[in-house]
Amino acid sequence: MSQVQLDTDLPKGRVTAGRNLHLKKFGGECKRFIVTQKIGFVSLLVILLVILVAVFAPIIAPFDPVAQNREAILAAPEPQFFMGTDDLGRDVFSRIVYGSRISLLVGFATVVISIFLGILLGMVSGYFGGIVDMVIQRIMDAIMSIPALILALFIAALLGPAIQNVIIALTIIEVPRFARIVRGEMLRIRETNYVEASRSVGANAVRIIFKHGLPNMMAPIIVMSSLAFGQTIIAEASLSFLGIGTPPPNPSWGLMLSDASRYMESAPWLVLFPGLALSLLVLAFNLLGDALRDFLDPKMSA
Amino acid sequence: MAEYIIKRLIYSVLVLLIMTTFIFVVMRAVPGDVVTLQLANSGATEEQMAALKSELGLDKGITTQLGEWVSHAVQGDLGTSLWSGKAVSDVIFERIPVTLQLAVMSMILAIIIGIPVGVISAVKQNTLIDHFLRVISVGGLSIPNFWLGLILLTGLSLALNWIPPLGYQSFAENPIVNLQQMLLPSICLAITLSASIVRMTRSAVLDVLHSEFIRTVRSKGAKEWVVIFKHALRNSLVSVITLIGLQVGYLLGGTVVLESIFSLPGLGNLIYESVLSRDYPIVQAAVLMFGTMFLLVNLIVDVMYGWVDPRIRTR
Repeated sequence: MSQVQLDTDLPKGRVTAGRNLHLKKFGGECKRFIVTQKIGFVSLLVILLVILVAVFAPIIAPFDPVAQNREAILAAPEPQFFMGTDDLGRDVFSRIVYGSRISLLVGFATVVISIFLGILLGMVSGYFGGIVDMVIQRIMDAIMSIPALILALFIAALLGPAIQNVIIALTIIEVPRFARIVRGEMLRIRETNYVEASRSVGANAVRIIFKHGLPNMMAPIIVMSSLAFGQTIIAEASLSFLGIGTPPPNPSWGLMLSDASRYMESAPWLVLFPGLALSLLVLAFNLLGDALRDFLDPKMSA
Repeated sequence: MAEYIIKRLIYSVLVLLIMTTFIFVVMRAVPGDVVTLQLANSGATEEQMAALKSELGLDKGITTQLGEWVSHAVQGDLGTSLWSGKAVSDVIFERIPVTLQLAVMSMILAIIIGIPVGVISAVKQNTLIDHFLRVISVGGLSIPNFWLGLILLTGLSLALNWIPPLGYQSFAENPIVNLQQMLLPSICLAITLSASIVRMTRSAVLDVLHSEFIRTVRSKGAKEWVVIFKHALRNSLVSVITLIGLQVGYLLGGTVVLESIFSLPGLGNLIYESVLSRDYPIVQAAVLMFGTMFLLVNLIVDVMYGWVDPRIRTR
């Protein structure tokens, strides 16, 4: 009886101790990030702030983002509408607040799906090599040889204007970029001694990929995600600007800029604010990506 | 080297072939075709639609269509537009000069700005100038080029009451009007591009400056500008050129949005219109044209490695 007790107790204790150690280590790493990467930390705060704005949009926005107001058409910035109103009398500030939801949703969905598919394809390609690798890589090359925005335009226009179609189009662009990184890392890891050792004691492909492959390539994937997030947000805005992305009356920042282009002279605030919001969010993701690269992989940066 | 270039050529053709198949399949897998669009409100019967489909060759299997397209394309026949009936090659070649001029002008501007600024940033590493230039270049990367276009247009029209002349004119027709129309969109594209060139040049030059042979050159008493331009910059050019090759994709993609803002009749605009009207042959050819340009530039980049770095030439 006591034997059984021991058997169940011991591993349990070990696991919790291990988890605490991981947590402590993670906490320490976070502190080190805040101290060494101040700009990166500020960028992270900006991104968190935008996430909060998106989540609490109904509380923050003073007006309904799609409600039209005939009394206040193209109103200049004033205390009530402090970023002005557009040609249908909609409050620009409220639309920007709600627009953050679209940018973040498209960015998040695209990056998460692309990471998943990219890891899958890259792992298979890098681990098995040979003909499988050849076929997957040539298809990825073909996709990457079409300029990204042209391909997005092509797919989004074919599928029709809808948020999920924008996500599909942008995912097709991002997957090969993740797959290429994962493949490169997998090729490197495959040749290491610890994988050799693991294989010699009979570990199968799945175990090697998940136990040794994935944990050892998290750094480049995290850096890439932050940069891809920024690019995706710009691409969504570009597609919406062209009228084949997020359909109206949704307050996508790109769509707002597209409407604004008709009132450049009479209502320049329409051009200014959505673009500022867009640039700031993308800047935060780019700076965070840079900081993460310096932090996680000093070899990759100058 | 020759063998290497031939290998790259074969690879490029293979990639183009896969690209063609990809576009072909995606376009036909999505609901809605040109016949349905054209006859949507005409009250045409099922038989009439089927007749038009078979006339345009859209009733055949997808592999048959693909095979026919490729065999014609190899002979230089890209088919005819499903809407206007014009030869696709004519439509495309009418549009290419606009996009090409825009791309080349932006590229030249970006290189003129990017490389010197990158070198300055590297030489003055960790000084105030360096920090300032780095902030500016990350900023340049983050500003969407179409917003930049709108801001420039708005600013110029409010401050100077000036807008670019309407109605596109080619450089041969009227160089002054043409430059007035092309300069603003080129600047917008060049800013993002030069930002990434600055970053790459800076890190590549720094890399070289820290290497041992630079120490040797310095210890021989070489002048600082010789160290920087003859040795450091020259040895960083391979990475900078690689980056430029890859950024051509961004550049060509960016032309679409800027052509739309500045109403330029380029290839990007053509794709946009033709995808909406499901004009398969034109979309097919135009997307391929963009792919070909990208592969071609990167082929040239590969050849340039040998020119920049003799070690690669002899390999």
